[in-house]
Amino acid sequence: MLWTCPLTPVAMDAIATLKNVSYLYPTSTVPVLKDISLEIRRGEFLGIIGPTGAGKSTLCLTLNGIVPQFYGGRFFGHISIAGKDTLSYPISDLAQHVAAVFEDPEMQLTATSVENEIAFALENLRVPAAEIRARIPRVLEAVRLAGTEEKHPQDLSGGQKQRLAIASALALQPDLLILDEPTSQLDPVGAEDVFATVKHLNQTLGITVVMVSHAAEEMATYADRLALLSDGQLQATGTPSEIYGQCDSLKTLGLRPPQVTQTIAQIYDLALDTMPVTLSAGLEVLEKLTHDRDLAPVPKLEEPSPRREQPQISVRNLSHTYADGTQALSDVSLDIFPGEYLLIAGQNGAGKSTLVKHFLNLLKPTSGTVMLGPQSTTQLKMSDLARRIGYVAQNPDNQIFNSTVEKEVTYALRNLGYDSGTIQQRANDSLAAMNLLPERQSHPLSLPKGDRARIVIAAILAMEPEIIILDEPTIGQDDRGANAILEVSQQLHEMGKTLIVITHHLHLMPDFAERAIIMGQGSILLDTSLREAYHQTEILKSTYLAAPQAVLLAQKIGQLTGKVNPLLTPTEVANYFSA
Amino acid sequence: MTVQLPPEAEEREVRFLGSASIDGTPIAYIVVLSSVVTALSFIPFSVTIGTSVSAIPLSGGILPLVGFLLGPVAGAVACGIGTFIGAFLAPYTAGFLPATVGGAALASLAAGLMGSKRGSWCWILVGFAVPAYLFLAARAVLQNGVELKIFIAGTILDWSALILLISPLRKLVGRWLRSFDLFRLAMGLVLGTWIAGGVAHLFQMSLSYAYFNWPQESWIFLIPVIPFEQGVRCVVGTLIGARVITGLRALFLIKPPTALY
Repeated sequence: MLWTCPLTPVAMDAIATLKNVSYLYPTSTVPVLKDISLEIRRGEFLGIIGPTGAGKSTLCLTLNGIVPQFYGGRFFGHISIAGKDTLSYPISDLAQHVAAVFEDPEMQLTATSVENEIAFALENLRVPAAEIRARIPRVLEAVRLAGTEEKHPQDLSGGQKQRLAIASALALQPDLLILDEPTSQLDPVGAEDVFATVKHLNQTLGITVVMVSHAAEEMATYADRLALLSDGQLQATGTPSEIYGQCDSLKTLGLRPPQVTQTIAQIYDLALDTMPVTLSAGLEVLEKLTHDRDLAPVPKLEEPSPRREQPQISVRNLSHTYADGTQALSDVSLDIFPGEYLLIAGQNGAGKSTLVKHFLNLLKPTSGTVMLGPQSTTQLKMSDLARRIGYVAQNPDNQIFNSTVEKEVTYALRNLGYDSGTIQQRANDSLAAMNLLPERQSHPLSLPKGDRARIVIAAILAMEPEIIILDEPTIGQDDRGANAILEVSQQLHEMGKTLIVITHHLHLMPDFAERAIIMGQGSILLDTSLREAYHQTEILKSTYLAAPQAVLLAQKIGQLTGKVNPLLTPTEVANYFSA
Repeated sequence: MTVQLPPEAEEREVRFLGSASIDGTPIAYIVVLSSVVTALSFIPFSVTIGTSVSAIPLSGGILPLVGFLLGPVAGAVACGIGTFIGAFLAPYTAGFLPATVGGAALASLAAGLMGSKRGSWCWILVGFAVPAYLFLAARAVLQNGVELKIFIAGTILDWSALILLISPLRKLVGRWLRSFDLFRLAMGLVLGTWIAGGVAHLFQMSLSYAYFNWPQESWIFLIPVIPFEQGVRCVVGTLIGARVITGLRALFLIKPPTALY
């Protein structure tokens, strides 16, 4: 580890002060937070980064007293929020200073209209009605949701729901706003929207922001300071450039710096005093290099060659309209061939999950057909489809209902009548593949969300299906966890399985997927090679996707050199300058 | 418990300081479990028709469980409210309202007394239950002419629950409910549900019988039905309870101070 000083100089005006904080959950013998001392300065935007299981969410919960008051356990040290000790004041008292927004906005929205949602917490704090009425339009305007007062929260998009959750928190007029992975379920433009909104609130209203996120590019752009947590310990605090500049050290922790930093760090024989962490700073460096260096040849854009064999899945003129009248799919046609590795991407609500649910007959077409081999999926039994297609849904908790990890992984096998030897063998193999062997007797709910996702994947692996669909498998995972899941998918692909991955995390896919289907508003906008798709930035933008920074860097360099420059990854861009 | 890495700072006393609690149980827990009771009120499972005006709801299986989870007072409040709302939303399982709502609260209250805490409350409950049983016996045998052996067979659930409640088994149930061994936990849930449900049934039966006298023929019909239905409640309570309790332990949510698991 290259960081030597765990704390930057102490600020005079701190909204939160943590002194030697350690914490153990009930029944645990291992502290989840270990001797953390940190000052959060009034008015700053503090990013908290760290690998899965580092204690980031627990740290956030200590700031509003939920840990340890609600969870119990053993607590050491002191935390003071606006001068109030978090163990000496009720949570309701602390809630007047600290507001929190969590990963899943659905979990926080309870009312039947946007304005009732915002009023809910205020009513509970006995804020006078006139004051509530005055605050609602102010906060809605601040998060750019003005005009939606009468709407049902469920009618909002994913990004809007998260902004409503922020508005509800904001209405409390907190000194400190905590956001724990608020963008992990949003499409890239929705995520950018939330970051920009929070930064705007931070700058204009002076609200102190603490945000936990794996979104390195956005954290580098918006955070004033980062705190790096690992294994419950505060490893370092510093500016984004200071923290993200240490690429190798981050990698050992299973984290990734922004792609622009990764690119610059890999360029041969380039020494910089300050490592660029934003796109604009990176471009400045690369612009200079285009004049100073010999440039390597670039790969060509190639059209995927047409396949002649029988498709494994064939979708023809598929449309689907939900009972409430929402048209989720409109005249979609595509063929998926055996052994393909396919990426499906698009904005929240583009119809990605609706499409793959038709493969499993979980949804029936309003019109059109879905064929699995020569048979229509509507004619196949659900159990037959489940054997042939493994589906890992977006929210792993919806697929977990057993009391141990091992029982969860063997559940379907037991119900399908496999013998005990086969069940044991397959369970061992799939648990090992997902690094879950040490947790086999643990209760699934005792593990972090990232691990719970891996339990579901292990259960699917044990079924040995022909086709595996992973619906947003990397949500809530750090870089190491996300890559571990995708590497397993790669192994399965090498075994001849067909892989379909739905994700917003486009930067993860170049090493894995060959073909990309980009969807928008229920239609297929692009069906081409991954390289071609990633460079169609305008089409990506139209469906609220953002090309990875490496692609944007490549395009800017292409504009400077006057050549088509279809590079995809930080390594490819770095190699371009390392001829 | 030995902490693997001794923390530097002093250990602090951890307390729940929120005022929104009943008998130390956060209101949020009570709201959630009363909603579950209401939801299960929609599902009838009784094998008899017209035993108490309408079908018996599936929520009967979890009323003692709510007491194990929340303690006697908060459990009784949650079950009382949940059953009361359920009676209006699902009238086909409402039965005789005072007996249904009161019985639900009593089942949870009795369940919450299975541990070593508040053992004296148990004797207060027995102090009411014994006269209730004697009243039932007097009305059935002396007033309505039901044969004694028929009455004893027809109230097997009620008197067995009463005996078990005052026996040392009550504390053993409390110990089993705290056990991390799944078999013991299940045994605790089965026995605890039988006892708590049985005590509640005694009060419900006394109240119902005071209003709706039924003849000996009905008593004979009910001899196998009542224990069978209570057995189903025990199975339901155990199946749901074992999973809920193992899940709650894994989730690290703070336990109400009077919870038994």
